[in-house]
Amino acid sequence: MIAKKVLLVGNFGVGKTSLINRFVFNEFSKAYISTIGVRVSSKVIFEGDSEVNLLIWDVAGVNGDEKIPSAYFLGASAALYVFDLTREETYKNIKEQIASLLEVSGLKKIFVVGNKKDLLTTEELEAVINVIAIPIDLLTSAKEDENVTKIFERLALFALN
Amino acid sequence: MKTKLTEIFIDDDNRFELLQELLLEKDREKLQTLNDEIGVQITALVKERNKEYLKQNPLKVNTVPKESLKQEITYLLDPVLEVLYPTIGKMIKKSIIKEITKLNAPSHRPIKEINRKLLKNKSIEPTLAPVPQVMNSSEIEEIFIIEKDSGLLKGSYSRIPIVNKDMLSGMLTAIKSFVEDAFFKKGQNLEYIQFETFQISIHNFKTIYIAITTSGSSNPIFNTKVSNAFEGLADIILKNPNLLENEIQLNELLERIFLGITS
Repeated sequence: MIAKKVLLVGNFGVGKTSLINRFVFNEFSKAYISTIGVRVSSKVIFEGDSEVNLLIWDVAGVNGDEKIPSAYFLGASAALYVFDLTREETYKNIKEQIASLLEVSGLKKIFVVGNKKDLLTTEELEAVINVIAIPIDLLTSAKEDENVTKIFERLALFALN
Repeated sequence: MKTKLTEIFIDDDNRFELLQELLLEKDREKLQTLNDEIGVQITALVKERNKEYLKQNPLKVNTVPKESLKQEITYLLDPVLEVLYPTIGKMIKKSIIKEITKLNAPSHRPIKEINRKLLKNKSIEPTLAPVPQVMNSSEIEEIFIIEKDSGLLKGSYSRIPIVNKDMLSGMLTAIKSFVEDAFFKKGQNLEYIQFETFQISIHNFKTIYIAITTSGSSNPIFNTKVSNAFEGLADIILKNPNLLENEIQLNELLERIFLGITS
C-alpha cells in the first residue's frame, strides 16, 4: 500500500474539517486542531489498481497573516485550498495565497474548491465564480455530501502521479 | 366665654406639671440610680449563671455546630475525593517510580538484590511483601520509523496493537514540527517527550526519525539494552536503505530486534 500526505488549507470556518469529517470517520478529537494547529486523519482509498493510504493534514484555518509552521507543508504530495462561497474574505486574496502555498509546499498544483454550495442559488454561484481570479476545481457541499469523495479521489490521483 | 375657661384649665394643668417636676426631681434621680444598679446586678447575675451552665453542660453547647460541620464534611467528602483521587493516585505512582529510579541508580543496590536480602532475612515477618517488580519493570511499548517531513510511517513495532498508527505518526510529526517551529530553533530537534510513566525518545536522522516509546522507570540496564538494539537497527538500515521502502520487512526486523527487551 502506498501512503501519501495531503494537505487541506484555507481560512477559518470555510469547512475543511467538515469535508474531512464527511470523507473520513476515524479522525482524532477536534481539540488537537486548536492546540497545535493541525489534525491528522487517515483513509485508505482505491485509485485504479492502487491502494492509497491518504494521510490528511487538516491545517487550522487562520484569519489574516497568522503564522502556520512551515514544516506542516513539507513532504505533501497534494494540497487542497478550501474557501467559503458565501464569504468574500475567504477568496478575496486567493491568488496570492495559492502562490504562497505553491512556494512553501514545493507542489506544482494546489487544488481549489469552493465549499458550502448548498447555501447559494445557481445565479449566486455563477456570480461568485466570475469574481474569483483563478480556476476552481470543484464546488462542494460537506453538508449535502456533494463532490466530497470526488475531490479526495482527485487529490489521491494527483499524489500518485 | 367657654374658651376662656378651657384656657384657664390648661394653664392650671401646666402649672401642676411644672410644680410636679420641681418637687419630684430628687425622687426621679433616685429612681434612675436604682434602675442602673439593678441593671448592673442583673447583667452580672446572667453572666455568672451562663458560666455555670457552660461548666455543667459543655458538650451540649459545642455539639450543635460541630455536628453540622461534621455533616457538611461527610456530604462533601465524596465529590472532593472523586476530584482528588486520580490526581493523588498519579502523584503516588509517579513518586514511587521516581524513588525506584533513584534506587536503581548505580550508587544504589538494584531492587532485585534488596528483595533477595529481604526474603533471606528471617527476622522479617513472612507477610512482608517484597518491593513490587511491576513498578520497576521497563518495557518497549512502540517503535515508529517515520519519514521526517511528511510524517508517513515507514515501519513500526507495538507491544500492544494500537488503533491507527498512521494517524499517531502524523500527529507525532505535527507535534515535533510545532515544537521545533514554536521555539525558532533552526537545526535543533525535539528529542524527548515524557508523560506520566511513558517516555518517547526521538532519534533524528537525515530523512527519517525513530521514536521509541517506553514505559516504567528509567533503568540503566534497560536503557543500555535498548540503546544497543537501536544501534543495531540503525546500522542495518544504513547498510540497507531500501528497507525503508518495505514496511513488512521493516516491521519484522523491528520485532526481531526489540521483542522481549525488558528490564
